[in-house]
Amino acid sequence: MRMKTTDLTRIYRLGPSEITAVNKVNLEITEAMFMAIVGPSGSGKSTLLHLIGLNDYPTFGKICIDDADVSLLSSSEHRKIRLLRMGFVFQTFNLLPTLSALENVELPMALAGKSSKEQTEKALRLLEAVGLSNRLVHRPKELSMGEMQRVAIARALANDPEMIIADEPTGELDSKTAKEIIALLFEINRKKKAIVVVATHDEKIVDVADRIYLIEDGGLRLQS
Amino acid sequence: MRLLTLCFRNLSRRKLRTLLCIIGVALATTFVIAVGATTMRYATVIKEMNVLFSGQVMVVSKDAIVIQAIPIGGGMLPQNSTVNKIKNITGLEKTVPILFVTPSIEVSGTLIPVPENFSMGVPVEDWRSIFGSTPLKGNVGHFPINESSNEAVIGPSLADQYRWSVGTKILINGYELEVVGILDTKLALLNRCVVMSLKLAQEIYNYRGSVNIITAKPVQGTTQKNLADAIENQISYVNALTEDERNDMIQPILVQVETWNLGLQTVVFAMSLILVMTVTLMSVSERRRDFATLDAIGASVSYVFRVVIVESTLIGVLGGVLGIFFGSLLALVLASLYTNISLAQFFPSIFEIVPPLYLIEIFAAIVSVSCIGGVVPALNAMRMRIAEVLRAEY
Repeated sequence: MRMKTTDLTRIYRLGPSEITAVNKVNLEITEAMFMAIVGPSGSGKSTLLHLIGLNDYPTFGKICIDDADVSLLSSSEHRKIRLLRMGFVFQTFNLLPTLSALENVELPMALAGKSSKEQTEKALRLLEAVGLSNRLVHRPKELSMGEMQRVAIARALANDPEMIIADEPTGELDSKTAKEIIALLFEINRKKKAIVVVATHDEKIVDVADRIYLIEDGGLRLQS
Repeated sequence: MRLLTLCFRNLSRRKLRTLLCIIGVALATTFVIAVGATTMRYATVIKEMNVLFSGQVMVVSKDAIVIQAIPIGGGMLPQNSTVNKIKNITGLEKTVPILFVTPSIEVSGTLIPVPENFSMGVPVEDWRSIFGSTPLKGNVGHFPINESSNEAVIGPSLADQYRWSVGTKILINGYELEVVGILDTKLALLNRCVVMSLKLAQEIYNYRGSVNIITAKPVQGTTQKNLADAIENQISYVNALTEDERNDMIQPILVQVETWNLGLQTVVFAMSLILVMTVTLMSVSERRRDFATLDAIGASVSYVFRVVIVESTLIGVLGGVLGIFFGSLLALVLASLYTNISLAQFFPSIFEIVPPLYLIEIFAAIVSVSCIGGVVPALNAMRMRIAEVLRAEY
């Protein structure tokens, strides 16, 4: 997957005032890149990730995936891209509380119409890969935060995405667990050749990233 | 993971709230079934009253109120001599004098009120013209043979209730009667009656020489209306009612009963709708993050819609099943209370009290109501986006 944004802008209107959360961002993401977006709170990191992840529509500008403009596609087309080509990891894990670890990982595959057998086999493999083969039937509230984030990563990998978007994936974790999660994301990037885009404050992530962008007041610039 | 399992688990997240909502729906269903079944049964009984006298003019006392075939009150009762006068009227094929009496039976000192029991005195030579199509149970026994014999034929419900059979002696107003047959009928009216000869009924109930109904069947070519007019012209102290007139008298009451019943059902269903919608809205509102997550990982809007609709429908299904069970039970209890027949005896005929089709209709209605109650919450859930939900949380 290759993604290119051109003058990507997102403006929120709050009553009479306007807030430019993302301002004319031009970004090119190429295959197998591990990319970190850093910046202070409220600088627009999450908004940019939502735009890149097709979870939100830009006010101006466009997003191209493999040279095709996807910014004007319908929300159902965006859903299909998110389901089949992207994976999401959230700061607060966002696992469905009524599903077990295994079922949470199976869910994206079920939504993609894969067979029950295929779902279970793949989910078992993924959970084993993230070190949770002994926690399959546990529900999120029975897991530690690190374990929940591992399940979330396994869920993000369920449909073999070309891009993983992670918003503060280590924000809720202690430093040891954070290190393990970073290592996991890095391994996914290297072994599966998936693009990893991470919005973070965590310097440990910055250390392993191929490219680091700084976002300030909605504007993005390459740091290293 | 199957959608149904997911929805069951989602409902079980707030066990107490879900349980209370299901109980609410069950109570609504119970109420609708119990009231509806009881009303329907009485409407059926009233409608059935005309079946025995179909195609005939009914002659009653001038001031009597007639509910279908049952005369209530009235001044001077027609005498045996009135029958002879009617026999002389042109256009008449057959006339039968009948004495309807209620209350009729005293068993172990308990008086059982109208309309649960009644006695019917009919001249023995006229059994066939009244009960022609009604056989006796198991083809055992016979109708009373002569006017002076102390014999009676009884309805099957009475026979079941008191375990009377052919040969049993029963005591009515100090007269000992022998049961000589049990009617084999589904008619609610005949289920609870004691039929005897006219003369015996007049003697037992102290109506000597009087009757309160005289049926008059017109000859072919004469309308009921013409015969009724002729009777009223020649006998001033009676009313002659055609079948249509009898139906017209009761129709407004039946329509009103039906309208009230429908109105009550509508109100109860509307309350259920509001209950299910409120509970589901609360549930969706609490799970904003879950729905937004589903949207983020690519679930289609139809999937999200189905999750919410199935949840609200499940409430309706569970409440409906409980409501059908308790509603049927309550309808039986009410029928038992009103008829003084033990509950155990009603169980075999439960589907006569609460017809299966009616249960299916009410179940379908409550499930549909619950399903509709989930539409607005489902539309809300479909609109949840991860970017907005997370922004709202921080």
